[in-house]
Amino acid sequence: MINQPQETGAKSWTTRREEKRRRTESVQPWLKGPILTPEKVVDALELLLKSGDRVVLEGDNQKQADFLSRSLVKVDPKKLHDLHLIISSISRPEHLTLFELGIAKKVDFSFAGPQSLRLAQLLEDGKIEVGAIHTYVELYARLLIDLIPDVVLVCAERADEQGNLYTGPNTEDTPVIVEAAAFHDGIVIAQVNQITDQLPRVDIPGSWVDVVVQADRPFALEPLFTRDPRKIDDLQILMGMMVIRGIYERHNVQSLNHGIGFGTAAIELLLPTYGESLGLKGKICQHWALNPHPTLIPAIESGWVKSVHCFGSEVGMDDYIAARPDIFFTGRDGRLRSNRVLCQLAGQYAVDAFVGSTLQMDGDANSSTVTKGRLAGFGGAPNMGHDPHGRRHASPAWLDLIPSPSPIARGRKLVVQVVETFHSGASPAFVETLDAVAVGQKAGMPIAPVMIYGDDVSHVVTEEGIAYLYKAEGQEERRRALAAVAGVSPIGLKAKPAETAALRKRGIVAYPEDIGVHRLQANRSLLAARSMEDLVAWSGGLYTPPPRFKSW
Amino acid sequence: MSSAISSREYLQRRSFIELDARTRAKSLFDSRTDRELAGPFDRIESPWLPLQGVTPQADDGCIVMRGTIGGRQAVVIAFDGAFQGGGIGEVSGAKLTSALDLACRDSQEGKPTSAVLLLETGGVRLQEANLGLAAVAEIISSIIALRQYAPVISVIAGPIGCFGGMSLAAGVSSYIVMTPEGRLGLNGPEVIEEESGVEEFDASDRSLIWSIYGGQQRYNQGLVDVLVDDDANQMIETVRDLIAQGIPEVHRSQQVDLYRSRITALDTSTQWDPAVVLWSAASLARPTGRDQRPTDDKKEHHQ
Repeated sequence: MINQPQETGAKSWTTRREEKRRRTESVQPWLKGPILTPEKVVDALELLLKSGDRVVLEGDNQKQADFLSRSLVKVDPKKLHDLHLIISSISRPEHLTLFELGIAKKVDFSFAGPQSLRLAQLLEDGKIEVGAIHTYVELYARLLIDLIPDVVLVCAERADEQGNLYTGPNTEDTPVIVEAAAFHDGIVIAQVNQITDQLPRVDIPGSWVDVVVQADRPFALEPLFTRDPRKIDDLQILMGMMVIRGIYERHNVQSLNHGIGFGTAAIELLLPTYGESLGLKGKICQHWALNPHPTLIPAIESGWVKSVHCFGSEVGMDDYIAARPDIFFTGRDGRLRSNRVLCQLAGQYAVDAFVGSTLQMDGDANSSTVTKGRLAGFGGAPNMGHDPHGRRHASPAWLDLIPSPSPIARGRKLVVQVVETFHSGASPAFVETLDAVAVGQKAGMPIAPVMIYGDDVSHVVTEEGIAYLYKAEGQEERRRALAAVAGVSPIGLKAKPAETAALRKRGIVAYPEDIGVHRLQANRSLLAARSMEDLVAWSGGLYTPPPRFKSW
Repeated sequence: MSSAISSREYLQRRSFIELDARTRAKSLFDSRTDRELAGPFDRIESPWLPLQGVTPQADDGCIVMRGTIGGRQAVVIAFDGAFQGGGIGEVSGAKLTSALDLACRDSQEGKPTSAVLLLETGGVRLQEANLGLAAVAEIISSIIALRQYAPVISVIAGPIGCFGGMSLAAGVSSYIVMTPEGRLGLNGPEVIEEESGVEEFDASDRSLIWSIYGGQQRYNQGLVDVLVDDDANQMIETVRDLIAQGIPEVHRSQQVDLYRSRITALDTSTQWDPAVVLWSAASLARPTGRDQRPTDDKKEHHQ
């Protein structure tokens, strides 16, 4: 028998819609269309938000809705408190001030790089409650399931008077955040740098946006993906050569994602020189899921790169990107359209290889960037740095990682970690136990904050050589293969010469000479660009580095 | 920097900065005339570094080479910025002083021998502080002795630059050559940041640092004789030309009144913007013999 409602019509199915209408009407006097008078932004936040609300504050690792976060800090904590904030990247000092003042109480996030020390301290002092630390895609996914926002605070470059938004090259996370609120009766508040009659293109339709406010200054943007080629050293070049020969060429890698670091910057700058000398142009590394790294310019200009889809943009790269629409995704206005969620999905399912680095790795190849006293989170690395079991399409590299033939064997994504065995200051990168274990326990986390699990890692590259972990048979052999390339770190000292020799013979471990890489050739003269000036020259003057990277 | 960097031709150059100290020195000589003196196989190492847990280097980070440049006798002394930041210790200081003194002796005996100092140095090596300071004093007096007979040319290419006591040594040389990437100053940016805080001076802000210490700024101020791009061929040509040119009529460090008048003419009541060159390049006479003109000091301060 079907249950009949007891009293038809007694339950409202439109509570969120009514609540949204009530709140937006309360700020009507300060609105002209969707445009809010900037002087009233703090009063409006006090009326549009309610204590205990779930609020997304747009702040990823590049652009930041900083006018809205600086305004939110000014609300009266007696009127507005105990917010549950969702911030993909806790980057700005006021993000944590919100917790000190009691305006916010709980946070769900992905990354906390610059604020990782203070976050760990607030957690210890009981001032902040952490829901969970996520990867980016995971956090956005929850916005659609069990973390549906009541209010979202986002940023755009420009708006028109109908509230249409132009997010431009740095579109990044804005579409998914707005979508989660706009279609579930949440309130969408956008800060913009400028309000103009005409927009270059519409990235977010005005019917998804409730309130637009002009910021006091353009939104904050950090040049996080710029690496100065002058700082690339010979060891990083050696490792880059090994990756190109022993991994990209060996497995026929066509599509890939690079994490950010000097190691991957070295690889990008070696493609047009070392890669070219091996005759690999047009044979490897053609399609990329990548932030627009300035160090990729020489490879693009030399015709190595067919396409690049971007998570975000990068300071100084916009004009260069706009001039290369065959390579990048651009709108009718000619400017880049980035999209973090889509690029994360692309990097997860559609690329052959992920290449990244880490601060610590244990003997089982588990790795983490969480070190003592720092709760840094994950960002997007775990999305790229794992083998997605939902993948079904084959590619030569994916098939090449099947260790033994079987009628139902599946391929495997290459997850490559490039790690120098020691950091400067003689602290080993290979350790018995990750600091993350102790940090996780201290923070009361249900699991240790491991960034990339060892069983997802297919290759580890150090200055000693490459461990082809996917080929190893059993856990013991994996450990021996990793130890064989871990130098004189605590893990590396466990290696036995006879075992290492046997692993090299079977191709589970390769030293540079085993794959035709000459150590003496590894020096900076191999880099296609050795300075920021060289990158500018490669771009024909289209790339304009941020001032702090310029010495001219 | 010049507009050169927006063009692809810039990439075709052979970078001088990317050469290591020994290759830099060797590149300046006429082909096959160079030989290294007190080289790494002589193993004249610092006795002080191992006592402090620092691995010494077989040439102590100082390379001395003798040969001809443009057919003229010359000695090149190159500091290896990759070893201890090019810091001057007892041994490297003695190598430099001896090289200058031998060049001086040869010059006095009728065989003029120029000296070229390739400076990549933070100054005195902290582990050998007093010995390094003594070495700087000796170096300066040896340069002043030699420059009466043959030019002493200081080249500051970068990326380390020339700081501390060695900036004084550069100051007494006959000519200074810099690239835009080179830096010249007494107190390095890291030292100032450490002493006065990041608010006062952010050592990681390249555009700020170079606008103060950088080759272009030092050239505009008239403290540098030739500014060359980071191009090994240009560098070789420049050094060859300066050696051919010989001793300047008057050395920069002899023009005390000129520089003193500039300092007194500076208005220090307001904060200077480093992007604005202190002395207007247009009204500035190059104060060395290379391009010597009578100067009207009153016109040279800011407008």
